[in-house]
Amino acid sequence: MTNWAQVFFNSTITGSLYLIGAVGLTLTYGLSNFPNFAHAEFVTLGAFVGYVVAEQLGLGLPLALVVAFVVSGLVGFLCYRGIFQPLAKGGASIIHLMVASIALSFILRHSIGAGWSWKPRYFSSIGAAFDVGPLRITPLWLWLIFAALALSLAMHFFLMNTKMGKAIRASSSNPELALASGINVDRVIWITWFIGAGLAAVAGIFRGADTQIWPMTGWDIILPMFAVAILGGIGNFYGAIAAAFIIGLAENIGVVGLIAMGASTTYRIGIAFLILIITLIVKPQGLAMLFRRA
Amino acid sequence: MGPLLYSLDLVVYIGIFGIVSISLNLEFGFAGLANFGKVAFFLIGAYAYAVLSQIGVPFYLCLIIGGLISAIFGLIISLPALRLRMDYLAIAVLAFGEILRLVVKSEDWIAGGDWGILVSPIFPWMGSSLIYRLENIGLVFLCLSICFLVVQLLANSPYGRAIRAIREDEMAAEALGKDRAKFKAQALMIGSAMAGIAGGLYAQYLRYVLPEMFMPMVTFTVWIMVLLGGPANNWGALLGAFLVETISRGANIAKDYINLPIDLNDLQYIMFGALIIVILFYRPQGLLRESQINTKGLLVAHNARSTIKDKGS
Repeated sequence: MTNWAQVFFNSTITGSLYLIGAVGLTLTYGLSNFPNFAHAEFVTLGAFVGYVVAEQLGLGLPLALVVAFVVSGLVGFLCYRGIFQPLAKGGASIIHLMVASIALSFILRHSIGAGWSWKPRYFSSIGAAFDVGPLRITPLWLWLIFAALALSLAMHFFLMNTKMGKAIRASSSNPELALASGINVDRVIWITWFIGAGLAAVAGIFRGADTQIWPMTGWDIILPMFAVAILGGIGNFYGAIAAAFIIGLAENIGVVGLIAMGASTTYRIGIAFLILIITLIVKPQGLAMLFRRA
Repeated sequence: MGPLLYSLDLVVYIGIFGIVSISLNLEFGFAGLANFGKVAFFLIGAYAYAVLSQIGVPFYLCLIIGGLISAIFGLIISLPALRLRMDYLAIAVLAFGEILRLVVKSEDWIAGGDWGILVSPIFPWMGSSLIYRLENIGLVFLCLSICFLVVQLLANSPYGRAIRAIREDEMAAEALGKDRAKFKAQALMIGSAMAGIAGGLYAQYLRYVLPEMFMPMVTFTVWIMVLLGGPANNWGALLGAFLVETISRGANIAKDYINLPIDLNDLQYIMFGALIIVILFYRPQGLLRESQINTKGLLVAHNARSTIKDKGS
């Protein structure tokens, strides 16, 4: 007997995680016009920095989130400023930028591997699970849902009401016009890379605390994150919110189906792939049409 | 392993990855396609060989069928993305490679799942690894020569000019009546078939297949070969295969002699990543430049021009 309440609750958790992880991916994809495969490594980096702060230094989860956000954000900014921006200005094609992002991904992942070793680590201080009616809940999950909610509201306010947010939307939809209207497009892109990589780090901590921390933590969820970016429409924040929860729901219902069919649940990642391919066939611009351009 | 056997082993690897490198050169160098899932087609060839050879299919059929299955998958996977931007293809194919590795890992009935299976080699083990390697070098380099010739001829044919034109300017090529999706799909199919044959050769040479042999890194090793050697130049692709394989062997040998505080496996990936970025910054055209198109028409035109010049002088 399937506990459907739990399935829907788990879908919310999965969706929240993918949303936080993929926001940076989709925004930088829309602004810089290439998919940054190294985004996965920002997730991993965040998980490790969070582990150091929360477990090894014992300073608790909230501080870990802040430190990981800043560290990973800075690394993201430096990667863009040091590698992608000069390459793009030098006339590199989209393929060259993608290859560079993969190369960067290998550099970061194996630097992390060399620095912290490939042995999986686990968060210990995530609190005990408790039952609410039919639901099994951990404090970590509540934090995760809260983080996704806070992120959505904050990003909505930021994109709609602040000068910087408006500049991000303007630069994303028409960079030349944005430049002509006096927006410093370079600075807009830097800030987006900083925020995006920082949020990836937050997702990394939650993912790491929920499963394990190792140099592939980010790469493990790169596929659903890309599915969120493409289903939601590249560069579209509101589309990403919808896409993250659709994919979360599809994955969790899919797992129920896989178990019913007696198939291996490792195929859960294949569900995101299926959604990605179907989106490309049916509607490559994703859900973007349903939402205001953001 | 003695130095001679070790270098012969290296030569086999150069040959096998030379084939993959040539095939990526057709896709990326000439047609401008971002195949980030090369390893998927390599895997299909290897597993097709492993499965077919177990039911007693002769080796040449195993290789050919492996190549065909790879080509069909290359078509199916790329079809949804081909009409779209280049980045969609890259994401779709990369994802396909990851999924495929997952499938062979969790489905034990295909080829032993996580533990892999043993593959019977083409050349029976005569108790001498020297002869075994020499026989393999012969076979691998025969296949490499065929692939090289095919890509070389394609690149200099009207087909090659069409895919180069599509790479440079899709709209212009389409305006001239070139169906870009069709040309791209063909390039991907031919490239995938070659990668599949290389995968079959690889599986039978190693005499086993394991999911771990087909990590995404394989794809990017091949990308380094093409980028380093020079995209759209088949000699460059071969040079790249030679350099990358030799460097990575050299690093493996150095591991025994040098004591580093950092794991050499990690260091090698970091160096390769850095190498790609350096190439992209300072020499995006690679070591060798794009090969000129050689056609009979150009030759005639060239001769005619020199005849006119001779008359003029």
